[in-house]
Order: sequence, then C-alpha cells, then structure tokens
Amino acid sequence: MYAATTIQKLALMASKPKSSRLHNLAGARWESVAKKPRMMTTNASISDSFSKYAEYLNNLNEKRERVVKASRDITMNSKKVIFQVHRIGKHNKDEVLEKAEKDLQAVRDQHVSRLVKELNGTDFWKLRRAYSPGVQEYVEAATFCKFCRTGTLLNLDEINATFLHLCDSSIEPLQINILDYLLGLADLTGELMRLAISRISDGELDFADKICRFVRDLHRELTIIVPNMDESHDMKFKMETMLQSVMKIENGQVCFYFLFVLDIELLFFVACFSVHVRGSEYIPMLGVNDPSYTLMGVPDMEL
Amino acid sequence: MKAFRIVPQFLPNILNPNLFPITFPKPLHIPVFLSPLSSTISTFRSVFSSSSSTPSMAESGNLTPFDGTLGTQFESFRTQLDETSNLRERIRNVALEIESVTRIMHANLLLVHQSRPVSEVLEKAKSQIGPLKEHFNRLAEIIRDCPGQYYRYHNDWKNETQTVVSLLAFMHWLETGNLLLHPEAQEKLGLNTPDFGLDVEDYLVGICFMSNELPRYVINRVTYGDYDSPRKVLNFLTDLHAAFRMLNLRNDFLRKKFDGMKYDLKRVEEVFYDVKIRGLIDNEDSKGDQGSKEQP
Repeated sequence: MYAATTIQKLALMASKPKSSRLHNLAGARWESVAKKPRMMTTNASISDSFSKYAEYLNNLNEKRERVVKASRDITMNSKKVIFQVHRIGKHNKDEVLEKAEKDLQAVRDQHVSRLVKELNGTDFWKLRRAYSPGVQEYVEAATFCKFCRTGTLLNLDEINATFLHLCDSSIEPLQINILDYLLGLADLTGELMRLAISRISDGELDFADKICRFVRDLHRELTIIVPNMDESHDMKFKMETMLQSVMKIENGQVCFYFLFVLDIELLFFVACFSVHVRGSEYIPMLGVNDPSYTLMGVPDMEL
Repeated sequence: MKAFRIVPQFLPNILNPNLFPITFPKPLHIPVFLSPLSSTISTFRSVFSSSSSTPSMAESGNLTPFDGTLGTQFESFRTQLDETSNLRERIRNVALEIESVTRIMHANLLLVHQSRPVSEVLEKAKSQIGPLKEHFNRLAEIIRDCPGQYYRYHNDWKNETQTVVSLLAFMHWLETGNLLLHPEAQEKLGLNTPDFGLDVEDYLVGICFMSNELPRYVINRVTYGDYDSPRKVLNFLTDLHAAFRMLNLRNDFLRKKFDGMKYDLKRVEEVFYDVKIRGLIDNEDSKGDQGSKEQP
C-alpha cells in the first residue's frame, strides 16, 4: 500500500515543473517526518546539497554545450581554410595563401576566442573531449597553411602564441595541449597527401617531393612518440592512415616518373596502376565508368 | 588489378636510367614502392628502407632538410610525454593501493550482512580510513606538481574513488542514518586543497553504488529479526531518489547508475510491504508513520 502511494506521489512530482517539485518535495518531507528531528535535518540537508550539485551539473553541462558548439564552428571553418589551400596552383600561390591566412585569422577571432572565454583552470582537461575535435582541425589548417607558405612545420608554441591576444590578461589564455597538436598533425598528413597528388598531376614535382620528405619526417618522428601518448588508441589508428598517405605520395611520384619517361603504350598500364594506388580518392570516378580521368589529366601538359 | 601486377614485372626491363630526362631515384625503388601495396604489415619495413634512402633523393633535389626544425620540437615532446607517462605510472600505483585498501574495507563492511553488531563492523572498517587518507594525500601531492591537470589523470583514480565514496557513505549511513554529503566525504579523505578535491560526479556515482547495497542489507536485517530497518531504509532511499531526481543528468554513466537506483528502491519497498503485511512491524510506530505519509 505504501509502495503504491509512493509511486503515485513520485509520478505526481514528476509531472510538475522542476522548481515547484523541488519545493513540494521539501515541504512534504518536512511534514511527514516532523516527529523525528534527526530525519528532518537529513532531508533538509540532502535537498539543499543536491540543489547545489544540480546547479554545478547544470553549469557544467551548459558550458560543455557551448564549448562543443564553438568546437564545431572551429572545425567547419578550419575545413574551409584547408579547402582554400587546396586551390593552390602554379601561379596563384600567394593570392590563395593570403586568403587562407585571412580566413584562419577570422577563425581565431570569431570562434577560438569563444573557447578561450569558456575555458579556464581545470576545464582544459575536464572538457577536452568537447573541444578537442575543433582544435585538432584548427591545428591541421594552421600547419597546412604554414607548410605551403614556408615548407616548415608550425610549432606548437607558435600556434599557442597566436592565441595569446585573443583575451585580456585576466583570463587564462587557451593553450593547445601536445596531444591535440599531435593528433592534428596526424590529420595534416592526409591533406598533404592530397596536395602532393594534385601537385604531381600539375607537374610540380619539386613541391611534391618536398611534401613527401616532410611527411616522411613527420611520420618518423611521430612513430617514436606515439606509444607514450595519453590515449594512444586514436593516434595508433591515425598512424596507420598516415603511413598509407606516405605511400600514396611515393607511389604517386613513381607513377609520374613512369608517365614522364615512358611512351604512350605504357600509359594505359600506368593509369590503371595509378587508379589502383589512389583508389580511395578516385572511387567515384570508377563508379561512373570513367577510369581514364587520370590518364587524360596527367600527361597532357608534360608529354 | 591485372595491370598492376604486370607493371613491376616488365618495367625493370624497359626502364633504362639513361633515358630519363629528369633525375630519377634509383630504379631499385620501383619494386620497393610497388610491392607493399597489397598489405600494410609488410609495408612497414619497406617504407623505412625507402626513407633510409632519403639522402639519395636529397642529393638530387636542392631542398633543405626538415630534420633540424622538426627534431627539436619533437625532442621536447618526447621528454614531456616521457614525464607524463612516468607520472601516470606513479598515479596508477597509488590507485592500485587505494583499490586494495578499499577491498579490505569492503570485506570488513560485508560482515554487516551477517548480523554482526554495527559498532564492531564500523570500527574494523574505519581503521582503513587512515591508510586511505594517506594514499589520497599522495595523489594530491603528485597532482600538485602539475597544476590544472587534475582531469588529465582523473581517469586513473576515478573508479577507485567512486568505490571509496560508496563505502564511506554506507558507513556514515550505518552510523548516523544520514547521507554523507560531498563536503563531508571530502573531509573524510582529507581532500581540502583547492588543486585536489573530490569530483562531484564521482561523489554522486559513489552514492548510487551505495544504494545498490541497501536492498541486500534490508533483507538480511529482516532475516535476523530487525523488522524496523525496512522502514528506515525505505525513507532514506526515497529521499535519496527524490534528491537525485533534481539533477539534470546527461546520458552518461551517472545517469545509468541513477536509473538503476529505482530498482533498489523497489526491492526495499517490497521487503517493507512483506514485513508490513505479515504484521511484523511494531504497530504504534508504523501507524504514526502511515498517517503522516498519507496526509500530503
């Protein structure tokens, strides 16, 4: 009987709005246990302290939500920057990169600054999962820009330095941690691979070669570091992908040498081969029965 | 696929290095590049062997090597990551010790189900609080060296802490009949420093764990003739459940544990019902209780 009433009461309470429920709860308890002073204090202190926990959790969840949103915006806009860099060609390098850098600056000013405002103290690690994807994408975009500009790697300290002016000195500045930086670098190699392939097909062999050696170096350095990373599972997976990127660039180069050197008879084989090598990127082409895409595109200018 | 197989076979015959108008890395590379395509595992060595031949490429090109700039940064990353993994190792060791202490504590506390006097059980279990405090202090000391990184390593002691909270809360309840509140739990573990506290979510999960223990406790109490305990536990658990309902939880572990709490409540209700229906409860007390329950 009691059980039934309890359940009814609980159901009733559930249907009321939160604040009134809270109030009711305290009130009802107060009455029912008025005879037992010890229980009375328990109830009061339980609901008191739970309203504190509720506030804490609400604040935390709201903050997490804002951080996730900012992170998503950073991801989206950083992706745009990366696409912008991919528009690079033989003659428009400066122009393309200038726009990319400007866009990157906008990402910092508009979106990264939102992150900076939210995070301080222990939040950087507590909410890392919420902002990590965005930051990784940003690292990818920033290092990608920098590599195309100078052919060097943008260091973690340099990235962090660009964040310093985003807030006044009262707020703790956002500092990307090593893990997110390294995860971002791992993604960078994928973009560099795409860039290298397109450079090869554009005939910019030197640039492709530069990319190739850079990616190899990056891969080698990361190989040493990865086992020591905090949660190395993600990174191990990315390393596999990275290795494949390295190989794709290498194979792309080999392909080009064949194309460059050998006569037309060979072209068919090579094209098939390159389609195979770069299968992952050209699957849509194969899907529409147009395997000659690379065959048409590559040799035109050079042969 | 067929074409791909053919290429490596006849290319070396056709390729004549002298024909190349551009600098071409040794023809030897070709099989190296081509062979590993089918499997990733075999590629590992071959890529390394090809990267070891990088100098030959560098000779041909006039590009600056990257090793200098890359190396220094990665060198520092390596030392930093080495440090963190050492730190983690230390934290894990402490967490292991905490775990073994809690196991003893739990074993001591389990005697309560065998109708041992509560004071005796509590005394034994309480003797473990000292060592626990010590271990948590050591954790706090380790974390003090890396300010702001509490949550970086939090996972390494999270589970242990949740168990600790559940045991402490159970003991506290046995002793006073009240819920162990968050500040009290912190105090018991000596975690008053600003850098190292008890995470509220861990505390709440711990409390949920404690509620799992209560149905069994009630059943055993009743078996040993303590017919008053179901009412006490039921009141406590009802309050606790109601308090938890004030929280807006995410779809996470805590939510799952909280969802489980209603089954504990139900089991205790059933026991209370059984005891009640058999007329085993002291009538006077239950009447008063019943009356006040139905009023609101």
